[in-house]
Amino acid sequence: MSLSKEDELLVNAYLDGELGPLEANRFEQRLSSEPALVAEIEAYRLLRAALRSDLDEDVPSSDLSNRIQSRLNLSGPSRSRPWGALAASFLAGAVLAGTLTFGALHHQTGDEVASEVVSAHIRALMAPAPADVASSDHHTVKPWFNGKLAFAPVVPDLGSQGYPLLGGRIDVIGLEPAASLIYLRGKHIISVTEMPTNGASPSAETSYSERGYMALSWSSGGVSYFAVSDAAAEELESFVKLFRAAAVAGAASS
Amino acid sequence: MDDTSDQDRFAEVFLPHLVDAFRLARWLAGSRIDAEDIVQEASLRAFKAIRGYSGGDSRAWVLTIVRNTSYSWLSKNRPSAVVLTEDLDQGARDRIDRPAGAEEETPETVLIAKLEAQEIRKAVTALPIPFREVLVLREIHGLDYRAIAEVSAIPIGTVMSRLARARRLLLAAVSGGGS
Repeated sequence: MSLSKEDELLVNAYLDGELGPLEANRFEQRLSSEPALVAEIEAYRLLRAALRSDLDEDVPSSDLSNRIQSRLNLSGPSRSRPWGALAASFLAGAVLAGTLTFGALHHQTGDEVASEVVSAHIRALMAPAPADVASSDHHTVKPWFNGKLAFAPVVPDLGSQGYPLLGGRIDVIGLEPAASLIYLRGKHIISVTEMPTNGASPSAETSYSERGYMALSWSSGGVSYFAVSDAAAEELESFVKLFRAAAVAGAASS
Repeated sequence: MDDTSDQDRFAEVFLPHLVDAFRLARWLAGSRIDAEDIVQEASLRAFKAIRGYSGGDSRAWVLTIVRNTSYSWLSKNRPSAVVLTEDLDQGARDRIDRPAGAEEETPETVLIAKLEAQEIRKAVTALPIPFREVLVLREIHGLDYRAIAEVSAIPIGTVMSRLARARRLLLAAVSGGGS
C-alpha cells in the first residue's frame, strides 16, 4: 500500500482521535471505498496493541517511591518513617495545620460548585479553543449570550488594564448554563464564570484551590462570580479587584 | 500565597506520575536500572523546580522533566544514542519511502498479527530517539498531540510528521523482518 503524505497524516490523526468531528466523519466515509486506508489503520492498531500488551510489567520497582521520598526527606506513605525525616515532617505538619484552619473557614458548601467551575476551566483549556465565541470586543461577546441564559452577564472590558478579553463560552454548572468569560494575563488564562446565585453561593469573597488552580468567588446583585486561573494568587486577586470595579461601573452606566 | 509546602506540592504533583515517568525513561534509556536512575535524578530536578509549576497538566510537566533528564543522561552516558536531528540514514529512508508490501503478497496486518509483541517492542527500541519519543508518548502514555508538543518542545506539525514516520518506520522494520 502506498498512501500520499496527506493521507498518511490523516490516518495517524484519525487513529489518535485528533480529527474534528466533521473531518472524522468525512474520513470515515472514504474507508468503505479505500481498503488501503483500512489496512493501514488496522496495522497501526495492531502495533499499538502490541506496545501496550505488557504495561503491567512496565512499572518501577516497588521501593522507588520510598527511595525518592527518603532522599528528599519527605514522609513516605507508611507510618514508620526514618527518624531523620521526622523533623521535616513536623515542619510540614505545622504548615499544614495553618492551612487547615484557613481552609476550614472557606471550604464549605460552595466547594462543589467551585470544583465544577474549575473542571469547566480545565476542560476549556484542553478543548481546541477555550472560547465558543472568540472576540476581544465585549460588544460582540455580551450579545452572544443573549437567549442562551436566563440572565444578562456583565462583560467588563479590561484590555487597557492588561487583561485582554479572548471571548466567552457557556459552561454547565449544576445542570444550569452559566456564562464564562475568558481573559488573558501574560501566559495565563483566566475564566470568569457567572451564574444566578443559589443557596450554596457565598456572599463574601471566597477562595478555593485544587490541583494548582485557584478559584476566587463572590456574589453581587443575585449573581455568583468565580474567577479561575493557574496564575499566582496575588495576580488573580488584583484581577478580581479590577473586574469587580469595572462591573460596578458598567452596571451604573447602563 | 504559599499555602502548601514544597514537600506537599511535590508529593501531590510528581509522585502520582511515577509509573509514567519510569516508562518514558525506560523507553528512552533502554534498561530498568537506568530508568530508575533517571527518574531519581528527575525527581530532584522536579523538587527544585516545584515552585515554578504553575498548575496545568501535572503529568505533562513531570514527563517534560523526565524527558529532559533522559536526554542529558543519554548524552552523558550514551552519546551515540542521541540523534537530535531528523536525519535518517539512507537505508531507513528507503524503508519509509518504498511502499511496504509492494512486492509482498501478504498484507502487513497478517504479518504483524503473527509477530510476537516482544519483537515489535524490540523494533521500537531500535527507532531513532526523536521518533521513539513521540511514539511512546502517544502509544504508551496516551498523550494527545498538544501535550506531546509541550513535552517534546516541538510544534504540533512536527509531532504529526514524526509520529507518522515513526509508525511507518516501525511497520517497515517489522514487516521487513518477516520476509
